Amino acid sequence: MPIKKKTEIILDHRFDPKTCRHYLNDQVSVLHCHHYATLYTQLANDCGFIDAKKLLADVAEDTFFDALSSYYEKYQINSVEDRITIAEQYYALSGLGEMNVIYAGIDSGEVELAHSHLDAGWIKKWGKYEKPVNFITCGYISGMFSAIFNKPVRSYTTIETKSIVSGAEKSNFKVTAN
Amino acid sequence: MAIDRRKIIESLSKLDVVGNDEGLIPAYNVFVNQLPARFWNAFADRLTQHVSEDLIESAEWLLVNAAHECGYHTGYGIITSEEWKSVVAPMVEKVPEDILHGAFAVFTAWGWAKSEIVELIPNEKMVVRAYDYYESDVVSYGKKSKPCAYMIRGVAAAFMDLAYGGDYDPTGKTGLRTFSCVQTKGIECGDEYGEFVVTRATNK
Repeated sequence: MPIKKKTEIILDHRFDPKTCRHYLNDQVSVLHCHHYATLYTQLANDCGFIDAKKLLADVAEDTFFDALSSYYEKYQINSVEDRITIAEQYYALSGLGEMNVIYAGIDSGEVELAHSHLDAGWIKKWGKYEKPVNFITCGYISGMFSAIFNKPVRSYTTIETKSIVSGAEKSNFKVTAN
Repeated sequence: MAIDRRKIIESLSKLDVVGNDEGLIPAYNVFVNQLPARFWNAFADRLTQHVSEDLIESAEWLLVNAAHECGYHTGYGIITSEEWKSVVAPMVEKVPEDILHGAFAVFTAWGWAKSEIVELIPNEKMVVRAYDYYESDVVSYGKKSKPCAYMIRGVAAAFMDLAYGGDYDPTGKTGLRTFSCVQTKGIECGDEYGEFVVTRATNK
């Protein structure tokens, strides 16, 4: 059955002149650029010391799980459809790109990106790359699925199967329950 | 000095940053993102905690380098932007020193750190103090033995690159890393403020 998406995210932006910090929906928020995001990603990709790709994805999962869960609770967003819509909009408002959840179930899902901050930034900085590099979005999606289905973090694994940085028209992510 | 920090912070902290139809925020010649500060802190903190003792310095250098490149390119985008031209440029009398003071007002307005230059020896040395910065949030209780404001270190050095490192180089091959920065004090270490000393890089 087709689902009509109608929920609009509420963006509560506040600047505290005393501390000079920005708050976006009650969370300290900061502006950075694609150089910073792609260099963190490259650092994770090239890191020989530890599995920093997983570390970066885990950090994203924890961060966005909290951001989405607290939003759902504050505004009483309870249906799966509305939660997905909010998560897609939050992703775009963060400047991370255009996300479309193709399907979501409690045990699996599929997500695609028509546009991606990480991929566009990587290409702008270094050109195309043979492997997917969007570890931040893998984490975002895992955290999003946990928040949507009221599960704890690390309940889902997300793998990027196609990527814009490698030449695909859209990036594609498969989600499976752990 | 003609730079009115309060006016710059008031004006530029109110700018709304909104994604376009593609969910991207192209501005200042870069793609901008606005993420929870916790995300950046958590990666830096976990990375430096997970690596072995002998690799901590390398991991820290990589984190500072990410900010250094970001600060160089985004900093140039900022000082050539329409917002800069309308708000900050009319206050600039002495180049590049006033530009540096203005850049730290913008740095503050963007929520990177409530910071200002407290000492500037042109072409040689700059000391910056930060009275509040998100990177200190890694400590909620007690104090760290070593400071960890990698982002401020990188960006402060990048701003000196832009001021005294020669013409801006979009490839980053020439103007970048002509200066380096050490953090001498940190809120995360129990100090009242963070302090950052930028001097000429010894490897260039």
